Amino acid sequence: MEEPKIELDDLEVNQERLKQNTNQLKNLRVYGSLNAGIIAGILGMDGWIGIAIYVVIFLMVSACLAIKMNFKVKEYFRSSYDAYYSGIGTDLLLFLMIWVIFHNLVNIL
Amino acid sequence: MSDILIDDRIRDWVFLPIIIVMFMIQMFRGLLTKYMDNRKTSQKVTSKAQLAEMIDKNITQQSQRLARLHGLLPDQSFKMKRAHLCDHESGILTKASQKPAKDPMQSMSMMNPAAMADMLKQNLSGIIFMALQYQWVSYFFSGFVIGKVPFPLTQKFRTMLQRGVDVQNLDVRYISSISIYFVLLFGGLQKIQQLMFGDDNDEFVDDTQMQMQMQMMGMPTMPSLGQQNDPGKLFIAERTRLEGVKHTFELNKSQDKAMKSLKRFLMQ
Repeated sequence: MEEPKIELDDLEVNQERLKQNTNQLKNLRVYGSLNAGIIAGILGMDGWIGIAIYVVIFLMVSACLAIKMNFKVKEYFRSSYDAYYSGIGTDLLLFLMIWVIFHNLVNIL
Repeated sequence: MSDILIDDRIRDWVFLPIIIVMFMIQMFRGLLTKYMDNRKTSQKVTSKAQLAEMIDKNITQQSQRLARLHGLLPDQSFKMKRAHLCDHESGILTKASQKPAKDPMQSMSMMNPAAMADMLKQNLSGIIFMALQYQWVSYFFSGFVIGKVPFPLTQKFRTMLQRGVDVQNLDVRYISSISIYFVLLFGGLQKIQQLMFGDDNDEFVDDTQMQMQMQMMGMPTMPSLGQQNDPGKLFIAERTRLEGVKHTFELNKSQDKAMKSLKRFLMQ
């Protein structure tokens, strides 16, 4: 019976550094959604265009991350899905909140 | 439908105060949890039953760790450790699995004092602030329109977003103050707080979000505090798992692995 190799791969990855990296990535993503919300709010974007701006800025952040890592994802994160695409839904609510606030502050009130 | 002009004073006295107050309360909650955590002393074992439970938990941790990391041990050490746990007469797991099963009533009362107090404190600090803010916002700021959401919504959202405003034909985009409260609550003042407080509060944030979701769904759930009914079965399962482990000492393969990574490195 083949034993799963997963546990020993965990030994090869340095856990502390992986945790640091993921924390930094989370912070980076929060800044990204904040900025996307401010941009969408101030420019008065409406409806689906706003959400498109969020996705565009999210992908830009991922692209900057890739350039900084020199495209060697394996050295910094578990997989490229983790590093580039994984948190897109969770920060969407944050984006919506900031978008609503700034849209109201600048355009309506 | 023409646009509604909203007075400047609404922005000055309603919109911004709600945001600032909610943000401050969130920060305050973060500080409060930090303070509570610092004051909490380590859990003392207060009764014999709790001691027995701690022992059981440690035994399962030990056997799980052995099953997970067995590759780090050479053959002899692994066999000795496994025998210490699983031996037919004197192994710890066999002895532990022969204990009688506890009935649920007794086991629940064992965990009550320490764990329930913590849970109550956490729940209270979460619920009280939420309820207070809701009452404050809906008492002072109800009955008028505060702003506009940038995206189109269906009529179904009207009751949620326009509570207190009874104009029927008003565009669903115009929202009342309670909806700003909800947007802020769900949207993630927690994330911004996380930015401020750094990495320490990671576990705190996960707990409160999980708690909020549980409350929203209305399900009272006891967090799983370990096996309550039948520890014997768990030990038997652990024992069969340990006995089935196929052990290889990873150091034997390490030369091959080193060759491979060296080759990969040199070829770059």
